[in-house]
Amino acid sequence: MAPEPPLLSMSGITKSFPGVRALDGVDLEVQAGEVHCLLGQNGAGKSTLIKVLAGAHQPDTGTIRWRGEDVTLRSPIAAMRLGIATIYQELDLVEHLSVAENVHLGHEPTAAGFVVRGRAAKASTAALLKRLGHPEVDPGRLVGDLSAAQQQIVSMARALSHDVRLIVMDEPSAALDPDEVDNLFRIVADLTADGVAVVYISHRLEEIRRIGDRVTVLKDGRAVAGGLPAESTPTREVVALMTGRNVEYVFPERPPGPPAAEPVLKVEGLSRQGEFAPLDLEVRPGEIVGLAGLVGSGRSEILETVYGARKAHSGRVLVGGQPLRSGSVRAAVRAGLGLAPEERKAQALLMLESVTRNVSVSAMSRFSRGGWIDRGAELGAARTATRELSLRPDNPAVPVRTLSGGNQQKAVLARWLLRGCRVLLLDEPTRGVDVGARAELYAVIRRLADEGLAVLLVSSEVPEVLGLADRVLVLREGRVVHEAPARELDEHRVLDLVMEGSPAS
Amino acid sequence: MTQHVSPPRGGTDKAAAVEGPPAWRVRLGRADVRTLTLLGVLAALVLIGGITQPDAFLDTRNLQLVLTQASVIGVVTVGVTFVIISGGIDLSVGAIVALASVWATTVATQEFGFAGILFTAIVVGVGCGLVNGVLIAFGQMVPFIATLAMLASARGLALQITDGRTQVVTVPSVLDLAERDSYVLGIPPLVLVFAAVTVIGWLVLNRTTFGRRTVAVGGNAEAARLAGIDVRRQRLYLYLLSGLCCGIAAFLLVALAGSGQNTNGNLYELDAIAAAIIGGTLLTGGRGHILGSVLGVLIFTTITNIFALNNLQSDVQQIAKGAIIVAAVLVQRRTASTH
Amino acid sequence: MTKLTSRRGLLFGAAAVSAGAVLTGCTSNDPDGGDDKPAADTQPAADDKPGKPVTIGYAGPQADHGWLNAVNEQAKKRAEKYSEITMEITEGSNDTAQQIGQIETLINKKVDVLVILPADGKALTQIGLKAMRAGIPVINLDRIFNSPQAYRCWVGGDNYGMGLNAAHYIGEKLKDKPNAKVIELAGIDNLELTQQRTQGFDDGLKNYPNIKKVARQAAEFTVESGQAKMAQLLQAQSDFDALWNHDDDQGVGALRAIEQAGRDDFLMVGGAGALSAFEAIKADRGVLKATVLYPPTMAASAIDLARALGQGKGIGGLAEFEIPSTVTCYSAVVDKDNVDQYMSTGFK
Repeated sequence: MAPEPPLLSMSGITKSFPGVRALDGVDLEVQAGEVHCLLGQNGAGKSTLIKVLAGAHQPDTGTIRWRGEDVTLRSPIAAMRLGIATIYQELDLVEHLSVAENVHLGHEPTAAGFVVRGRAAKASTAALLKRLGHPEVDPGRLVGDLSAAQQQIVSMARALSHDVRLIVMDEPSAALDPDEVDNLFRIVADLTADGVAVVYISHRLEEIRRIGDRVTVLKDGRAVAGGLPAESTPTREVVALMTGRNVEYVFPERPPGPPAAEPVLKVEGLSRQGEFAPLDLEVRPGEIVGLAGLVGSGRSEILETVYGARKAHSGRVLVGGQPLRSGSVRAAVRAGLGLAPEERKAQALLMLESVTRNVSVSAMSRFSRGGWIDRGAELGAARTATRELSLRPDNPAVPVRTLSGGNQQKAVLARWLLRGCRVLLLDEPTRGVDVGARAELYAVIRRLADEGLAVLLVSSEVPEVLGLADRVLVLREGRVVHEAPARELDEHRVLDLVMEGSPAS
Repeated sequence: MTQHVSPPRGGTDKAAAVEGPPAWRVRLGRADVRTLTLLGVLAALVLIGGITQPDAFLDTRNLQLVLTQASVIGVVTVGVTFVIISGGIDLSVGAIVALASVWATTVATQEFGFAGILFTAIVVGVGCGLVNGVLIAFGQMVPFIATLAMLASARGLALQITDGRTQVVTVPSVLDLAERDSYVLGIPPLVLVFAAVTVIGWLVLNRTTFGRRTVAVGGNAEAARLAGIDVRRQRLYLYLLSGLCCGIAAFLLVALAGSGQNTNGNLYELDAIAAAIIGGTLLTGGRGHILGSVLGVLIFTTITNIFALNNLQSDVQQIAKGAIIVAAVLVQRRTASTH
Repeated sequence: MTKLTSRRGLLFGAAAVSAGAVLTGCTSNDPDGGDDKPAADTQPAADDKPGKPVTIGYAGPQADHGWLNAVNEQAKKRAEKYSEITMEITEGSNDTAQQIGQIETLINKKVDVLVILPADGKALTQIGLKAMRAGIPVINLDRIFNSPQAYRCWVGGDNYGMGLNAAHYIGEKLKDKPNAKVIELAGIDNLELTQQRTQGFDDGLKNYPNIKKVARQAAEFTVESGQAKMAQLLQAQSDFDALWNHDDDQGVGALRAIEQAGRDDFLMVGGAGALSAFEAIKADRGVLKATVLYPPTMAASAIDLARALGQGKGIGGLAEFEIPSTVTCYSAVVDKDNVDQYMSTGFK
């Protein structure tokens, strides 16, 4: 341990919300210049901990020492004054303000105390962006017009615009492409070289191994391990600490050969200008077809167009041989399509509602007569569907927002199961799902396919597509560049394809 | 394959503490707390009324009076609650009530008697709701703007029809509705209508697919759309429903006041929204309670009644009303922030 | 005092109307034709004979209330009686900016006299000043401008007098009753005129120590609010002898509440002078026994004053060479005995 006091030392932090003890005596110690990784399942207390650190929550008990002195972080501003900056997962930028205005929000350079010096703000913003390796972002542009990756850069520039000694990054790589992630890591390395400490939260173990120095693992509001070496701690040990059980991060077995049935989903020449080129694909009952590609390769757009949430510019979608009316979600649902969208909370779930009502929303006609809902039948159906997917807790009356990411995803799948859909469209099905729950979700998806569903899967995680799908279409810039059975591909080959774009065979 | 083993919990008690009590119980508890709070406020008001004016307040006639006064705005509030639950807003309800009451009491309409007045009030209400709904659902207009425009136009049209004159109702069967002789077992017919609208509103919201769709659209319109709900059609229906409630309310008002006037329904929109909010309906949509709204209306009406019985002036009444709205929203914020 | 004011009331209330009636040759209930005679032959006083042509610009608010409607009607009808009068009437507006624009237009048209009933007296003071400076005399109707420089003559009602006269009427009716109770149904509480009416009523009641005002509630000049507030008042006061209601429009609702409560044990005095109130008083079947005027005929008087001003004359019946600078119309009490005379001025 270094002789001088650690930069940050939190000890015995507790924080309760009515009915929930979110933090239960957490200790966290961060040295200047290190990348300290925070690991834990959803609900383990990571978010609460960083909100305490950011001054957004006040702890019930516990002490925070900053550079050897006791401090109270009464507000986000107080934390910022000390040099603690937080980059949240949901970026907190003002879309209708420019990049420079966002970066300097709350501490605008002023003349005479109130006149904002726009030019000075732009100049210093440009300097920050250059330091972050993104000189191409114009400080005058509106943040709402930027890509997700660029917005994250702006958020980081905002953190650096203060005299910052500690940056908290909450899943910064979640929305980034591999090359963007590389840039992020370069920035992190630059920062730590300057003596800035980084608290890094991620689900991706490989990232933590690449840039992390030490790891603190949270479980059920407590730090179950602190200061583990990031590089050398075995994965199995980390997963065991996080989940409290030993789980193989494995994919379910595939059926031996392609199913014999006729394709239930046929896509013919489907395209949207500027998003993806005319596309043909088929999915048979019992088959999982994966679309692999980078962010911006048109994956999500393809799924949403197949589903009718976007209107196709050309081509058509056939389900069971019948063409769908373009641009109509209702037609797609009626024909037996179901979508588990990428942004689960924003696009799929009714967060204020119970699991039952989330599951039943697409199949209300099944247990209603003349608009009158038979609530007993509804609850029974929801219970059956959620049990089939081993949704936890086994009580469909709980609010869906209290569920973990993986179980929320199961609620969405249960919705389509109850509806009796024939084709499942899965967009990033394991985003925000913690490591322990992924394998179980993979198994569920495979079982659904085995029971005769056709599954079209989109994921930015190549191993996921390769591990789960039977057949894989590799996308690059809105175009299919390769199609092959999954067992004939490996991760390097796919990454080569999406980066280099070798022509489809 | 993955083992579906439930985790061997090391510190089971601690883990349970983190998960908290079964969330459904928390939620149910909260709903109950809200209703109980409102009932508590009402009970406190009844106590205050009973202490300050034992004779005038604790009197069957006064109960009939309070409920009658609550009926018109109450019916409007039920409709507005649906709209707010769906994430919308209807600022035009007062103006629609005015227009419907005025149109239903023109000399020409009154020639058709009871049925003519009732029919006209409802058709005008539904018609205005239809315009609102089409503008919002298919014209992609923001509800605030669309209904604000309806507010201005409906008031203008009401003024044009009346020229600012009071149109007295001469149809005895309509006037009789608000007379003591027609009370059913001591219950005024207006109150019966209010009760019926409340019960139907509660059933529709809580027991029908229409209610579910309303909540879904308000809770997350995009999710509702991707779940296969026709969000636009649902929005259209909701503004129609609000218009229908305005039409019914206008008919009740015509019977109660015995006239139609372009100034009728003054600021109903604010009273209805305020009642819905103190009743626990989220202005952002996705959650709401018909009974809460009705309790909100009853609380406001009872306050007005107690103040009037104690001969306190309208300035004090308005201050009290404002304070209650603020207090209710603060309590609501407190319960909401627990998550 | 009373005699003098009632005489003034005749002059500017009923007499003015009946004078118009004479001109069109209708049979009239002219109470006293003598009033219209010029005071002295040497003085140029306005009379009904056509004189020098005058263009009058008239700017009123939007008629969203029966009384305002009647005011506009009175002005228009009055102008039609005089062949030499041309009226430039703006579309009524409650929007201050719009009304200013309309009056600007009238100034630019160089009308001879302006009659202005402002949507908001304070806010339109500047435009009154502008017109006066441009040499166009302004007759300010009812809602008074901030500065006397903004008008040549102000004609309006007497809100304080309404309360006072209502109190006197009720006082006389109840003067032999010990411990008499009265209640008051006021208009919109944050209007100055409501405060004045209440003040007048309270001052008037001081003359009758046996009478006590036991309750007051404010309605909003609407039928709906009148019904609601009256219903509460009736519930609160199981026993009282008289009610003064500030406004006949809300009185429609108040009467409805009284009818619904089945009460008839008191007398009611209204305010303003609506036709429905006059008819009820004449029929004498309910509690409404009288109403205190806030005469819409003041608009007709304003036209008369504008005409006299435009022709450089004084007004008949007064010794002055010029028209007065302020004319406060009398708040006459209309009861069963004199209601016929006012019937034609009642507004709907």
